[in-house]
Amino acid sequence: MSSFTKSAQQWATFARSWYLIDARMQPPGKIATMCAIRLQGKHKPIYHALSDIGDHVVVMNTRHIAFSGNKWEQKMYSSHTQYPGGFKQVTATQLHLKDPKAIVKLAVYGMLPRNLHRRTMMQRLHLFPEDDLPEDILQSLTEELPQPREVPRRLDEYTREERDTFPRLWIPPEDYKMI
Amino acid sequence: MVFLTLSCWLRNRGPHRYWKVQEVLSHARHFRGRKNRCYSLAVRAVRRAFVYATKSRKLKQRNMRKLWISRIAAASREHGMKYPVLIHNLVKCSVQLNRKVLSDLAITEPKSFLSLAKLARARQQEGFGAALGDRKEPPGVFSRIVTLQ
Repeated sequence: MSSFTKSAQQWATFARSWYLIDARMQPPGKIATMCAIRLQGKHKPIYHALSDIGDHVVVMNTRHIAFSGNKWEQKMYSSHTQYPGGFKQVTATQLHLKDPKAIVKLAVYGMLPRNLHRRTMMQRLHLFPEDDLPEDILQSLTEELPQPREVPRRLDEYTREERDTFPRLWIPPEDYKMI
Repeated sequence: MVFLTLSCWLRNRGPHRYWKVQEVLSHARHFRGRKNRCYSLAVRAVRRAFVYATKSRKLKQRNMRKLWISRIAAASREHGMKYPVLIHNLVKCSVQLNRKVLSDLAITEPKSFLSLAKLARARQQEGFGAALGDRKEPPGVFSRIVTLQ
């Protein structure tokens, strides 16, 4: 790297990268922290708040995010239309059905610093409900980030050998009746 | 009578009003609005500006340290370590580099920073080994700090 010219090295240091995150079966909060860090540029050792050093982040499969616990029923998103009696409260399920990108968008918006750079950083965040991305974005992607949560496999996704060799605590006798 | 000649009657009554006004307005020339031109408004604005300047001498040190810490944290996460782990293990290895130097190394000397991160990781593993007991390697290669007399 140090054998390149100074101008080329500076260009490479300050260039804006495009990161891809697959949000399938991931908690939206963890996805949002990863996005917020990269949008601000806090993952770079040359970080400064005024340097405009954030990168673009593309999140795909936002329709398939997975909240833990009972948050789909219990988490409430509130807004007010500024008219009297205009307080609206919507559960996460209802909001997700209305707009599949809204949950991740609101999560990232809340994690960015509350200054005038926030709107610019939100413009650099690209959300897609499914995994079909447009051509120009596919061409500009530079790196895919690993998923924060390890996706567990269903029982039918394990092979027969794995199921047989899995350690068992006790083997029931032939005539044992499982309820 | 003390003032016997004409020259002894002349006293310096202070600088002309123009110079007293310029002394204040020269510090206000880069302000916005009428406070860069009109003396009464400028006097108040310049006093506020000087007060902010005195207070922010302490704030500057705090902000610089915060910036160094976030830069070191970013660089150590690039190498798979977190900032508190790195600092704690470097302190345990008696590496007395301060945050300013560490952040400069992270930017301009990436390989040196990588070596420091590896040192901290090794010291961390030694600490785990000492806590859990029964490690086969000789105890404490990095934790044996040699003090020269």
